[in-house]
Amino acid sequence: MEYTVNLKEAKEDIQLFGGKASNLIKLIKYGIKVPPGFVLNTKSFKAFVEDNQIQSEIKGIFSKEYYPKDVIDISSKIKKLFFGINLPERIINEIIRTHSQVFANLERKCTYVVRSSANYEDLREFSFAGQAQSFLNNHNIDDIILSIKKCWASLFSPQALLYLLQLKKREINISPKDLKMAVIVQKMINPQVSGVLFTANVINNNKNQMMINSSWGLGEAITGNLVIPDLIILNKIKFDIVKTVIGKKEKLLIADPNGKSTILIETEKTLQEQCSLNRTQLKQLHNLGINLEIFFDYPQDIEWAIENNTIYTLQSRPITTLAN
Amino acid sequence: MEKIGEGLSCSSKLEVTGELVYITTIEDVIDLFDKATSKICLVDDAGITTLGPILSDLAATICTTGGPGSHLAIISREFGLPCIMGAKMHTNDLSSLNNRKVKITHDGEDKGFLYLVD
Repeated sequence: MEYTVNLKEAKEDIQLFGGKASNLIKLIKYGIKVPPGFVLNTKSFKAFVEDNQIQSEIKGIFSKEYYPKDVIDISSKIKKLFFGINLPERIINEIIRTHSQVFANLERKCTYVVRSSANYEDLREFSFAGQAQSFLNNHNIDDIILSIKKCWASLFSPQALLYLLQLKKREINISPKDLKMAVIVQKMINPQVSGVLFTANVINNNKNQMMINSSWGLGEAITGNLVIPDLIILNKIKFDIVKTVIGKKEKLLIADPNGKSTILIETEKTLQEQCSLNRTQLKQLHNLGINLEIFFDYPQDIEWAIENNTIYTLQSRPITTLAN
Repeated sequence: MEKIGEGLSCSSKLEVTGELVYITTIEDVIDLFDKATSKICLVDDAGITTLGPILSDLAATICTTGGPGSHLAIISREFGLPCIMGAKMHTNDLSSLNNRKVKITHDGEDKGFLYLVD
């Protein structure tokens, strides 16, 4: 296969698969439970642009300097360009083949998440975290292909273009046309609870503690600050709960049962007041944190989700802000 | 000084004073782009995707939802910016705070406070 590979069979390669996918590949090799999926490599974006002969149009758009007031206009021009053309036939055929191999054993009603994995996301001086987008609750190949185009278009979102202008102020010159993005397609997890686990306390830099943010439903509600999540501090050396602060959790993000994407619904009153994790789950997350910190040999920032008592790791990256 | 809000202090414990700007859309960010230096930005559910491009110019961020695991808090820590998440504000009319001079302080542990100073 030239453009796609099962995450289970891939070898990490940031240039080809981007930072996020390379990290997932490492986690799977280490035996960590990650939702099954495949990655569409960065060569496919190049083929999409070149086969449709839109590189000269993109080049034309960026041939002269642009200013903050121009970004919405530029972004919508590129979006229009992308949505007016198709993925090359050979890439679509590969996606269909790999999709049917990777997800052969899944129940029919499962849906998919399409996540961006850019080659620059892990560079310290170019921290794009939260800029590149994920698209949840894709039902079929047509939805997946549309979300892949949306992922690529997010490289040219108004925010991303402003980000590049900000870097330019500091004399870091990156042209939007040099960015590369791979795309991850995974089975979508519909968790009862999810969150972020830091294997150190990132508020007071205590490396003998772990910190958890958790809430009901999908974790995007936490990372995208749609809710005030629960906050739990654990003793890392010997499992113990040091502190629990129940967050309001007034809303709950779920896959839209009647459509695509996600919806934010009201959380039941009793669930708002209850901690979203019990002691057993906290112990399991503590174990996961210890495991991943040992594996990566550094404190980790881990996004996780619990579906029917199974903990899935969605992402693990180093905590970049710990004081020595 | 009048206390106008408090929440979880998720990043640097620096005390900062600056002009508050309430941000809700990407258009607000475009308007602020060349004059974001030393501003203190208040957002509700607009997160890092909105504030990201100007974050490194700001003096601090305050958000009425979220926690230390929000991307806004993670990137604020990377830039060493004070960041108060899950802030309970004493007014519902957040836009009335636009352009007011405010100060951010912290207690010794994990609480952060917002004061009006003008």
